[in-house]
Amino acid sequence: MAKPLIGTATARVDGTAKVTGRADYAADRTEPGLAHGHLVLSTAGRGTLRSMDVTAAEAAEGVLAVYSPFNPLKLHRIKTTPDVCFVGQFWLPLQDQEIRHYGQIIGLVVAETFEQARHAASLIRAEYDLLPVRADFAGRIAHAVPPPVAINHEDPQVDLLAEEFGTVDEALAAGPVQVRATYTQPPEAPLALEPHACLASWSEGVLTLRVGSQSPVGGALAAAETLGIGLDQVRVLSPYVGGAFGGKLYIWPHPLLTAAAARELGRPVRTVLTQEQVFTTVGHRSAVSQTLALGAERDGTLVAVKHDAVSSLSLSGVIYETAAHTTSRYTYKSPSLHVGQRIVPLDSPPTTWVRAPGEAPGAFALESAMDELATELALDPVELRMRNYATVFPGRGVRWSGKHLDECYRVGAERFGWQPRTAPRPQPAEDSDQVWLTGTGMAGATYPGNLLPTTLANVRLRADGTATVATATSDPGTGMRTVLAMVCADDLGIPVERVEALVGDSALPLNYGAFASMGTSSSAGAVRSATTALKQRLLDLAAGDARSPFHGLAAEALAYRDGRVVGGGHSLTFAELLAATGLSELDSPGASAPGAERLRFAVHSFGAHFCELRVNRWTGEVRLDRWTSVIDGGTIINPRTARAQIVGGILFGIGQALLEGIRVEPDTGRFANGNLADYLVPVHADMPDFDIHFLDHPDTDFTPLGARGIGELGVVGTAAAIANAVHDATGRRVRDLPITVDKLL
Amino acid sequence: MRPFDYAAPRTVEEALAQHADGAAYLAGGTSLVDLMKLDVARPHRVVDVNSLPLHGVTTDERGLHLSALERLGDLARHPAVADGHPVLRQALLASASPQLRNMATIGGNLLQRTRCGYFRDTAAACNKREPGSGCAARTGDNRGHAVLGAGPSCVATHPSDPAVALSALDALLELHGADGVREVPLNSFYRLPGETPQTETVLRPGELITRVTVPPLPGADRSVYVKVRDRRSYEFALVSAAVAVDLHDGEVRGVRIALGGVAPRPWRAHAAEQALTGREFTRANALEAAAAAADGAEPLSGNAFKIELVRRTVGHALTRLGGR
Repeated sequence: MAKPLIGTATARVDGTAKVTGRADYAADRTEPGLAHGHLVLSTAGRGTLRSMDVTAAEAAEGVLAVYSPFNPLKLHRIKTTPDVCFVGQFWLPLQDQEIRHYGQIIGLVVAETFEQARHAASLIRAEYDLLPVRADFAGRIAHAVPPPVAINHEDPQVDLLAEEFGTVDEALAAGPVQVRATYTQPPEAPLALEPHACLASWSEGVLTLRVGSQSPVGGALAAAETLGIGLDQVRVLSPYVGGAFGGKLYIWPHPLLTAAAARELGRPVRTVLTQEQVFTTVGHRSAVSQTLALGAERDGTLVAVKHDAVSSLSLSGVIYETAAHTTSRYTYKSPSLHVGQRIVPLDSPPTTWVRAPGEAPGAFALESAMDELATELALDPVELRMRNYATVFPGRGVRWSGKHLDECYRVGAERFGWQPRTAPRPQPAEDSDQVWLTGTGMAGATYPGNLLPTTLANVRLRADGTATVATATSDPGTGMRTVLAMVCADDLGIPVERVEALVGDSALPLNYGAFASMGTSSSAGAVRSATTALKQRLLDLAAGDARSPFHGLAAEALAYRDGRVVGGGHSLTFAELLAATGLSELDSPGASAPGAERLRFAVHSFGAHFCELRVNRWTGEVRLDRWTSVIDGGTIINPRTARAQIVGGILFGIGQALLEGIRVEPDTGRFANGNLADYLVPVHADMPDFDIHFLDHPDTDFTPLGARGIGELGVVGTAAAIANAVHDATGRRVRDLPITVDKLL
Repeated sequence: MRPFDYAAPRTVEEALAQHADGAAYLAGGTSLVDLMKLDVARPHRVVDVNSLPLHGVTTDERGLHLSALERLGDLARHPAVADGHPVLRQALLASASPQLRNMATIGGNLLQRTRCGYFRDTAAACNKREPGSGCAARTGDNRGHAVLGAGPSCVATHPSDPAVALSALDALLELHGADGVREVPLNSFYRLPGETPQTETVLRPGELITRVTVPPLPGADRSVYVKVRDRRSYEFALVSAAVAVDLHDGEVRGVRIALGGVAPRPWRAHAAEQALTGREFTRANALEAAAAAADGAEPLSGNAFKIELVRRTVGHALTRLGGR
């Protein structure tokens, strides 16, 4: 048997296409008769659109149509909720004159060229009747309210208290050592290199919508519901997606408007958003404020954890950060535990899922607080975590399907050269020539292992010796296409070059897509199910078809090995067998779905981050030098793309820690830095040297393949590791992200 | 962007002739084209000066001459710049990104428009973009704005790094206009906003920067550019300092300190220069001078940290040059 591909670093099957410009992103396509859309956005934060002067725009060269609330494109009201219908927000643009947030869509100009459309859009003048804007998160925390629905099937407030205590505060007070602090972070944008773009074309009543999406099936549901057509009248194509990070899970309104305009004009229409427009027309991560209190014995044993989170929630949407429930709820063993969540409704663009929603902010607070407790106790932060290691999920009494976080700490500390510390690092003398202060920090990471609802795949053998694997998921740069091809190639015993993976098409077998780090676990399981069934079909064919050399033998007497059917002294490749039996191809469906494992086990991926950085004593600038992460993600199917996922996640966290944050004008709701020049994300020069190590513990209690998700894990804990290292270097504890120079002077 | 005429003259005289009211010169285009896309710059005509014979780096007894169309990247690599002018080379390399430095010209860089987010947003009040409309930055998001030299009408900063180094080096600008050629010190080239923030320089209509001259300057070889920014590359300065020290037997005979990121133009910290001139170049004296670097500063709601950061940045620069 050939060396298995699973676990072998494998180049992306679509890598060459991507680096040679042959990958077909939504905005790359052109079609005969293509017209170009450009959005018009509101410059008011709340109120009513009184009028729009579109005279000059309509008269501008090349303009085909100017749509607005006063000349709308009809869209059907959403009957479900913004998440269920995959639109991402309650309301649809142009259907009324209400202004719900700054930068909302109030028009769509369609012209012969992009430049003509943009120019015409700039000629439009809007008048508003204004209402006070509720956009000041910090100022409204006092008015926070409980969220309307359960969080992970639990109440917004969960108290698991030791018998002797009536409240978590009593439990905290019983601990001889306590830390308590508030951690805050601004809203963050899920920025992707590929702009949000779509191309809509209609043919005989059927819509083909090309759009970069994490969920082509979700996009099709949204289009069918809002355009008033059947699911069989829409096909969403997302063969390549240039980054998504949650921002492309829902389809958002602009493709729906574009499709409606294409239908009305009888021409294909392409709309490419500017990056400035992306900030307010697709969702962002909530602003979060968290108060964390830890009570402990002097030996570091926790007696109580109290974690209360407040998150902003756009009045246009339903998604917000659930920071306490997704971290402190289960991370450490504590006799008393309280997690609470409240929300601050705002007149903001939609809040939505952004990479590690809940876990990313939650871990910043929890893992910073653990560091503060370690300092208070003069105990090494790794040791503190080991003294509070959880082996059963608090309150549920179930163990984890696989948990090797202790090994992550231990191996990570070894690889990094972690020096256990029990006292603050000495600071140089005031007049020392030393410019840089060095510090190290660490934090743990967790992310739940989930499975999509029923997920289908199809695997097809062809008489030319190749195979295809197909499922309607998406590859937003994660390496999904490669992973599916690898699993299929391994199962069929053929080289990966002979497998074509088809994804990014809502017409393929049902798959809700790539999100919540469950794409690989779910889709790979469906592929394995399909290949298992397909190999049996092939053996049945070999035994049962009169034209087969194996005819007359029992199927049980045959075996499939390395791409061949063998038995009875015969050995044929599947291609030869298909040729012998006169078939051009043979296929089988497969499926995966969550099962009873959710009841028997808790399922999470784990990791530990260690970093070293320097802080400039003069200027407060932070420079990351090196980074070690040890990851417990079950079976790692492709170490190459897995490493890229973890590094990308850490980079996302570096942005969160040091650079990113939407600055919202409290009185208008305008995003003051809502563009790629002023909203900073890390560049290559900001990157440390990475040492990424994967533990090898297949989680077969979770799925037969044993793979858990890792797409979001890298973000989790990264900001805390950096904040902890900054504290080690400078003695300053920064609890408000991002950690910019002004906070270190 | 709005429709516009396009001209590509081949001589300076043609360029001057083709420049009319409402026209804009296009060199590297890294700033102008952005602003045209944002509908902030609305030239009726774009006069592309890239074909003008304004290339080359020469030296003579008057100093180092940089022709206006030299790209920032080329200048940073040029031995005549690197030799004896570390502050200029460092400022060039600290600018933008390699791709942008390969396009942007030294002449164009000096005329780069502010990065103020309200200037760049046509929906916002901005006296610089639309005189009389107000200044949204004064009460808005002003973390990146000026603490020195600003006024009620405008608090925007000048974004160039090389201009700060050239200010410290007392550079001269050669200007070609309808009335002929003149030379203006860079330190007299930029105007403070006053009541007319839309007028940023002493350039006359249609006048073109054709050459930058760095005169021989004692101490230019003992110089440094320190740029403090949120991101390590491809980002404008929160605060920067270009410092050159003329040292003689341990005594500071002359010092030039120019600041970036804090004022509507490269800002010479004269009080700090005076505090150090004629004194021993010790750490204590350097820090005393640095403490005066932000004299006269007035913070806005979001940028008070810049005042302390100016002092620290200048202190860092002076100690890097040996003040210890």
